[in-house]
Amino acid sequence: MADSKKVKLPEAGQWPDRMLVPALALGALLTTTGFLLAFFWVAPVNGAKLSEPVMVGDVTVTHVQLLSQKIFYFHMPVAIVSFVALAFAAYYGLRFLTTRQQRFDTCGRVAMEITLLFVVFTMATGDLWTRFEWGVWWTWDPRLTTYLILMLIVIAYFVLRNAVDDPQRRATYASVLSILAFVDVPICFMITRVIPSSVHPVVAREGGMSPEMAITVTVVMVGMMLVAFGLYRLRFRQARLAERVEALKEQIEER
Amino acid sequence: MNTILADIYSTVIPSAPFIIAAYALVWAALLVYVIITVSSLKKTEAQVALLEEAIARKAE
Repeated sequence: MADSKKVKLPEAGQWPDRMLVPALALGALLTTTGFLLAFFWVAPVNGAKLSEPVMVGDVTVTHVQLLSQKIFYFHMPVAIVSFVALAFAAYYGLRFLTTRQQRFDTCGRVAMEITLLFVVFTMATGDLWTRFEWGVWWTWDPRLTTYLILMLIVIAYFVLRNAVDDPQRRATYASVLSILAFVDVPICFMITRVIPSSVHPVVAREGGMSPEMAITVTVVMVGMMLVAFGLYRLRFRQARLAERVEALKEQIEER
Repeated sequence: MNTILADIYSTVIPSAPFIIAAYALVWAALLVYVIITVSSLKKTEAQVALLEEAIARKAE
């Protein structure tokens, strides 16, 4: 076992916790700003061409306007945040396996909880978009399938945690599973480059986003990252306190 | 209504419930998660205070 004195352990109440409320507030502000930009600043994406141009107000409209594409401005950022949160969970899993410090398991568990939250957001927003555009709740698109696998691994992580009583064994299995889950991230990200899909086009290959679209996505993504960071610190603080309650209970029982 | 305008609105109006649901779901779920975490944090803080008091009483 590694010497605990040499390993710097993450702890609640340190400087990142002082950023918790500002991060959540700024995150809420940025996501709201992004929402307003998406609807009032970025032009809708063109769909099928109209038989003849028509004037709407003082604008000439030549294509059917795809309003459902507005879901993209939340859908893509939450998907990226789910990958980042999973990267942290895998990092803490690796840290646990190398140091055997339970604290890293706590960090990994909380990071995985945030991952699950954002995975559910991605799935829900994506499904609502798919339902409207293609009239189905589910399609076996390569990215959807790999992302479903990712979601199932994340759910399995929590099932596994509840099935093992011994804390050391539970942490070991959970750490390994979080690293395995992270292996799916590059697969999920690159799959549409290998197997082209109409549901998830490669944005860069399709000519990229307009500057307005890119700015809006960036604003929402930064906002969501801050929200995820704030939620992580909040939950970590609660988890550390819960561990303290257990330690105090043991102390009382011993006396 | 002008058939071309009807064509434009045919994809705009029916998509509104799906867009509203997507955005509302994300915000509502985030809010619920924050409320649950903060309330369990408060409960745990109260538990810590009680246990520390109990230990101090035992030590006296």
